[in-house]
Amino acid sequence: MDARMDIIVQVDGRQIAASVRPRMLLSDFLRCHGRALGVHIGCGQGVCGACTVVLDGVPVRACTILAVQADEATVQTVSSQAALEGFAGEGLTPLQAAFREHHALQCGFCTPGLLVATAVFLKENQYPTHEEILAHLNHHLCRCTGYANIIAAITSVVQ
Amino acid sequence: MTLFGTPLRRREDFGLLTGTAIFLADLARPDMAVMRMCRSPHAHARIMKICTEDALAHPDCIGIITAADLPSGTGLLPAIDLLPDSAPVHQALLASDRVRYMGEPVAAVLASDAYAAEDIAELVRVTYEPLPAAMDTSADAILYQELASNKVHETSQLVGDPDKIFATAALVLEEEFAFHRLAASPMETRGAIAEAESGTGRILLYSSTQIPQLLRNEAARILGLDKAKLRVIAPRIGGGFGCKEAIYPEEILVLQAALTFGRPVFWCEDRQEHFQATVQARQETVKVRAAVDEQGVFLAMEATCDADIGAAYGLLGNTPGAAMATLRGPYRIPHFRSRSRSFVTNKAPLNVYRGAGYPQATLCMERMMDLAAQRLGLDRADIRRRNLLQPDEFPVARGISYPACGPVVFDSGDYPACLDMTLDAIGYADFPARQAAADEGISLGLGLAFVVEMTGNGPTEPARLRVARDGKLELLTGITPIGQGTETTLAQILADRLGVPPETIRILTGDTDDQPDAPGTFASRGATMGGNAACLAGDALVLAARHVLAKFRGVAVEQITWENGALAQIGGPNEPVTLHDLAALTGPAALDVRASFADNGNSWSNGCHAALVEINRATGVIRVLDYAVTHDCGRVANPLLVDGQIMGGVVQGLGATLFETLRFDADGKPMTQGFWEYILPTAATAPRFTLRHLETPSPLNPLGMKGAGEAGCTGAAAAIVNAIADALAPFGIPIRSSGPFTPETCFTLLRAAIGQEAPIQ
Repeated sequence: MDARMDIIVQVDGRQIAASVRPRMLLSDFLRCHGRALGVHIGCGQGVCGACTVVLDGVPVRACTILAVQADEATVQTVSSQAALEGFAGEGLTPLQAAFREHHALQCGFCTPGLLVATAVFLKENQYPTHEEILAHLNHHLCRCTGYANIIAAITSVVQ
Repeated sequence: MTLFGTPLRRREDFGLLTGTAIFLADLARPDMAVMRMCRSPHAHARIMKICTEDALAHPDCIGIITAADLPSGTGLLPAIDLLPDSAPVHQALLASDRVRYMGEPVAAVLASDAYAAEDIAELVRVTYEPLPAAMDTSADAILYQELASNKVHETSQLVGDPDKIFATAALVLEEEFAFHRLAASPMETRGAIAEAESGTGRILLYSSTQIPQLLRNEAARILGLDKAKLRVIAPRIGGGFGCKEAIYPEEILVLQAALTFGRPVFWCEDRQEHFQATVQARQETVKVRAAVDEQGVFLAMEATCDADIGAAYGLLGNTPGAAMATLRGPYRIPHFRSRSRSFVTNKAPLNVYRGAGYPQATLCMERMMDLAAQRLGLDRADIRRRNLLQPDEFPVARGISYPACGPVVFDSGDYPACLDMTLDAIGYADFPARQAAADEGISLGLGLAFVVEMTGNGPTEPARLRVARDGKLELLTGITPIGQGTETTLAQILADRLGVPPETIRILTGDTDDQPDAPGTFASRGATMGGNAACLAGDALVLAARHVLAKFRGVAVEQITWENGALAQIGGPNEPVTLHDLAALTGPAALDVRASFADNGNSWSNGCHAALVEINRATGVIRVLDYAVTHDCGRVANPLLVDGQIMGGVVQGLGATLFETLRFDADGKPMTQGFWEYILPTAATAPRFTLRHLETPSPLNPLGMKGAGEAGCTGAAAAIVNAIADALAPFGIPIRSSGPFTPETCFTLLRAAIGQEAPIQ
């Protein structure tokens, strides 16, 4: 019924080629074709931030972008967290480890989107103030933690 | 090695932090049919005709199920509170003749993918004849014609002789409080998958549910299946808070669709559907009267609660019943009468949500305390002290029963100490000076709220413990995690009991093959019931292991002891034998035990909350600056995770009080269908927390635990509302609702009180 468009997207370092409906959302493309299951769809309305991915270096809501808009682009999800943080070690990245240490996640559904967005935020602003951290976090909904431990985790990485 | 009581970091986190944890939607595969619901666009209407011709003609359509397509004998959805005396108003899987809320399922469309499914659902043509909607408890429109009214449940309680007290009391206060409708709003919406299990002839149902065991039983009943042919698995769950503690039509319909079309079926609701069709919470109106003497001692109380429970099926009488059963909270109040009534309305069904009746009870009681203090010129802490039950009075039988959960008997606590710790934590003594020194245009307010809540709901909890082939211990539990860290806590408790490293224990959850019959995850019961059951299973495994080693060595079982996480033989070879060693020696088959923990009644946790708010009178913006909680959940297994529960719960209560509300238009159409309209709290709204623990062990379980999951949410509304009332008191603004106190609401209240022309300062 729908026309299809051929696209190629680099997802976490892999070339994903697919023939997709023009209306297919990037979030669905990443999950269905890219098997990037760390992209969580919380609202599909661009509000909650759970589906945040990094598109050519910029954090975006994958649920309000069409897959065809990402043709020939590079997408990084939480699977690229080490690269996003410039971390060359093994295991959890400093941000992931801080989240665990500070109990900054409970159900964990919002966590991957929050992690990738925060990695980019900290790359652009190495020493953010408390107010800047809050302003950054205001773009992400977490229903479990009450945010205090998320703020503490990010603050600990900054210091 | 003492693990109990330490802030052990979570074992769940690795998968969640790396995006490799498997949630329901992650189980979808391209070969699965995607189910999409056709939902009623009307709050109340008669269904005249359903035409599926165009939809079936769509090339990607696999099939459609309407009520007419369901096998005869298909059962109705249950209400989870299972109260025997409620009216039989159970919803069908699919509406046939009448729809009773916007979003009610009318047909299920099966397609090859989600995009096609959405298109096809729009091609199902349903002709409706709209009916007047009942949008509150006193509406004329009747939902169920077989009943004469919309009242479906009523319960009452009486302690002492309140009439006599009211007739002679020095002060009688009378108030009415309106509680607004909320959505629990976990970040993950609902979803389910059904498919044939390969090689077993069984059907596998995956669901994002807090109650897989109950779902299995009810799905089997509704579809007339042998329950042995059905296995239910709850994968990793992205939050529940009570809204995944219902039996939903869609969960049963994926199963029916898989049977009908002979292929795997996937369904996941979107956020708009979640706001339309997932169970909602809280809405009720409570009228309260209190008889108080000159010293501020509450002598009697009387309350009536009318709950607006939506179109029924979620839960009928439990939440309003709980609100009334616990209205008096920690205060003595020897004479009491209450009545709670549940009315069906043309809204999505009401269900439990974190606190389930206690937030309403706490707000009513704590507002009345403040109002009495104000009338009598008493200090707000003093008046509470004069009414608190004392530590030497436990157990305290309250003379009333909690619907379907037995008599209300408080088991343990030190309420006066709890109050004092919170007063200290919030800086109560210094607050008047701080309030007086507030900046121009700013009003500060402080609010107190004392919570007593039933937790650790029994009566029993199973556990199975075995040694796996790789030598690790496997605890099979019926507690399904919904984000609170169940696996970490249970491993920690069991490791502490056995004296083994927690890393040697695996926790298996959410699978009815592991635990076919267990109550599930609700009512702050997971750690208490699951933890005590795990300990019993641990003891049973040790006993079994001693027998196995005794037999292997040909000695009496008394010769084999358990010390420091291993077996030893008295006077025998010196090397201790771990369970891992034993399994290698004898095989693991005999090292597989089951236990069932039965509590001696529900444990009642308590806590005292204090909120400090700031109101900007020029904008109406309310901020919660500081928040203190002293919580008594008995012995704390893991303070890191308990504090996480408290803070998360408080911010949910904060959101409910300041931002969140479900709105409907006059025709019953939901006006809040997304996070654009339903405003959740964000990081900038989080207060500074001071959390303290007071540990009075519960005598009702060996670990001395009481629940903690709902505590934060239960007290927050009352503490914040009291703080707002305190801040607004100089302007004579009465507070008679749970909010939400949005900037607009607050601004309007201030303008009305101060006058349109008066300068705001």
